[in-house]
Amino acid sequence: MNENIFTTVCPGCSIACGMYIREKDDGTFDIDWRKDAVVNAGKLCRFGVRLSANLKNATSKVDGNEVELSDAVTAAGKAIGDGATFVSVGNTTCAEHLALMKLAESKGAVVNTGMGAFSSIPAECHPTMGVGIPFDAIESAKKIVLFIDPYEQYPLLVRRILAAKKNGATVTAVGWKAVSLADDNKTIDPANYESDLALDSDSVIIAELNPSTDPERVMVLLNLAKASGAAIMFMKPFVNAVGCDLASKKTEQKSLDQIIAEINDGSIKTLVCLDSDLIEIMPDETAVREALGKLDNLIAITSRASAIADVANIVVATEPLYKKAGTIVNAEGRALHNSGESTDGIDAIGAMMGQPVGMYDEIHATLLATLGIDEVDERVVPAYEKPEYKAMDANPTAEAVETALVYAGGPFFWTGMVDDNDFVEMNLDMVTANSLLKGIPAKITSDKGEVAVKYKVSDVAPGVVLSNAKLPMTTGMVTSVTVSR
Amino acid sequence: MDIGDCYVGWATDEDIRTRGASGGLVTAMLAAALEKGLVEAVVVLKKLGEFEAVPVVTSDPEEVKAAAGSMHSVPIVLSRYLDYGTKVALPAKPCDARSTLEQAKRGQVDIDTTYIVGLNCGGTMHPAVTREMLDVMYKLDPEDIEGEEIDKGKLIFETKDGEEHAIKIDELEEEGYGRRESCQYCAVNIPTMADIACGNWGVIGDLAGKGTFVEINTKKGIEILQNAIDAGAVEITPADDKGKAIRAKVDGAMMNVAAAANDKFLAPIEGSHLDYYMNALSDCINCGACKTVCPVCACGEGAKCTDFSSASDTYKMSLFHLVRFVHLMDSCIGCGQCTDVCPVDIPLTHIYQRFAVPMQEEFEYKPGMDMTTPPFFGVDLVEEGH
Repeated sequence: MNENIFTTVCPGCSIACGMYIREKDDGTFDIDWRKDAVVNAGKLCRFGVRLSANLKNATSKVDGNEVELSDAVTAAGKAIGDGATFVSVGNTTCAEHLALMKLAESKGAVVNTGMGAFSSIPAECHPTMGVGIPFDAIESAKKIVLFIDPYEQYPLLVRRILAAKKNGATVTAVGWKAVSLADDNKTIDPANYESDLALDSDSVIIAELNPSTDPERVMVLLNLAKASGAAIMFMKPFVNAVGCDLASKKTEQKSLDQIIAEINDGSIKTLVCLDSDLIEIMPDETAVREALGKLDNLIAITSRASAIADVANIVVATEPLYKKAGTIVNAEGRALHNSGESTDGIDAIGAMMGQPVGMYDEIHATLLATLGIDEVDERVVPAYEKPEYKAMDANPTAEAVETALVYAGGPFFWTGMVDDNDFVEMNLDMVTANSLLKGIPAKITSDKGEVAVKYKVSDVAPGVVLSNAKLPMTTGMVTSVTVSR
Repeated sequence: MDIGDCYVGWATDEDIRTRGASGGLVTAMLAAALEKGLVEAVVVLKKLGEFEAVPVVTSDPEEVKAAAGSMHSVPIVLSRYLDYGTKVALPAKPCDARSTLEQAKRGQVDIDTTYIVGLNCGGTMHPAVTREMLDVMYKLDPEDIEGEEIDKGKLIFETKDGEEHAIKIDELEEEGYGRRESCQYCAVNIPTMADIACGNWGVIGDLAGKGTFVEINTKKGIEILQNAIDAGAVEITPADDKGKAIRAKVDGAMMNVAAAANDKFLAPIEGSHLDYYMNALSDCINCGACKTVCPVCACGEGAKCTDFSSASDTYKMSLFHLVRFVHLMDSCIGCGQCTDVCPVDIPLTHIYQRFAVPMQEEFEYKPGMDMTTPPFFGVDLVEEGH
């Protein structure tokens, strides 16, 4: 009776909370609290606590038939030709991402991390967009402005912000929903951020950068940070998005929307997704499924059973993240070591390009050189250079709709995992105006269709219907809708 | 050997004696229980660093021996790792032992196959707090620490250069460091509810620092100690009256300190109680970690606290918490695990204790102290004829 226990990180978001995974003989696992973890002192949000119930291993398949991993690898190797498009948003280790980069390079391609904003915004901004600030720095800020809802999107930031408040910080939230820890909840026209927020060099801005983020909005926030001298941190929804960005920084990135558009116009015929489920990540699931159906080859290299594994032509099922040898870089830029020693995923990618087994050491050395460190030490955040950048002209897309269904995001949303979130939130005015009744679902209608869904009265902005679960009638992160009884 | 007997014992293996705390008796006893087939498994803390260890259930005596030594900065309750029906032994602080008994009363642990080797405990520290304390109070780099011990009211860290660095625990706690809050007001220091209670209090004379004081509490206690003696793994000598008196005196002093901490931390709420609880819980993110980690919760998935609440609720205070506050009034032992894991730092143990202590006093029921008294909710049901 001996147990397999892995020291790893939660795959839920770019905070990368430390945890233990206790694997049982039948392949299932329990999570356990790693109280000495520097990132989270062992604390986990609902996603981490429920991970063992939601995370299932994938099965290798070719054309819908279960096969051995080696057969799936062989089939993938044959199917991936020149002209293939590669995606890895950062749900795997740096080593596996770098292995995919080698494979892509061998086919004359790059790996797309899905963050389209990187290719729309000058490269001098990328270091600031990529790596955030140490979480300790949030606690010592004098003023914090939130462009996220930490409770829903990045729950382990809540304690950092509360600690800052204890230290005397004031907190302003600019978002869809009032957050209770904020001293002030505001709706501000982006043109007035600078004057209304009155930030300075003791301030911290916390925002999010995800595949659907409007680059213009990122530019506005970068301008705000530049003008005020405030530190800025863009949280990412994927555990190793920062690590993958650092590895990929010199590549030309396509946004996920561009990739879908190119599949639809026939210029992409083969798509290779490394732990990147576009069906889960992109807001319009129907449109993504339709597009993926047009591919000659959809190859999912995946460590977990997710929606894309059900529709891919080839599924290369790799070991779960906690078992992988490798490193994760979190939103702070902190390198975190995974205690797993398996290189099955890397070896599988290597085999697709005819490389012998054993690429890990070489790839890991590349990573250390990229980070400018000799070894991975979770207690030391590597030094990152963040050059000055020029202010940019920015015109964020105005969400000028009367009533909009808005996705809040959060770990369950981005992973398509089940949670107690089958409801929408709206304010009392909207409930009254639409004559909604307690206990009767609200009808939410868009150009695409209609759903009846439970609702909850919350302090959300006027005209906003907020959801943490994906609804089938949406067309984007913000969808124009009507609400009725 | 009889129930109630007291001894001082030590490991016969020099390596275990050196690495284990107070002569390595507990390590030797647990390893011998595995080696001689008394148990199938032992729950131990596998050391991963000076402030980090993970509980493992092992059948490998070498893994048990490798876990020798106390770790005050690893505040984990081991009873959560017991599997019903497995013949198992565990080293048990009073909260480990008490939660094991509470689980046994609720049919989650088979007490007949579980050997509880109790360890005296004056409290544990959260590793994150320990690291900060080393930096702020001791002016030491946590990575330079090679060992720690508590002696005569001082917390002593040994650095890699062999130097010892001591500060009074009172002084540390005044600055907000030292033991976890729940440990400061915990008044159960000697695990009298365990099969055998072990510790260094009462070990005097030449054996001081080299032996473990042992009190036999049950037949299983006799079994596990005799097994280790028969295996040649430990030696014992009867404890003398002076040692027993010193042990009782230390325990009494610790209880007085706990009572003072109880008055300080659990002072009556000023103002509106409703406001107090609503404010305390206002940042709850509905993660459920407090329930998952709770070593006395026996409800599993279909629990009233989760069934009666939903993220879509708009109540001013979550029913999840309200149900749990009431449900744990007869079982909360104040172990501190819920506070440790709360992602938004709600002092949950503190709140649970505010509900539990008055009721436990009212019903004269201290949870986990013995197997003879059922939980007081159960007593009432029987008395009402249900």
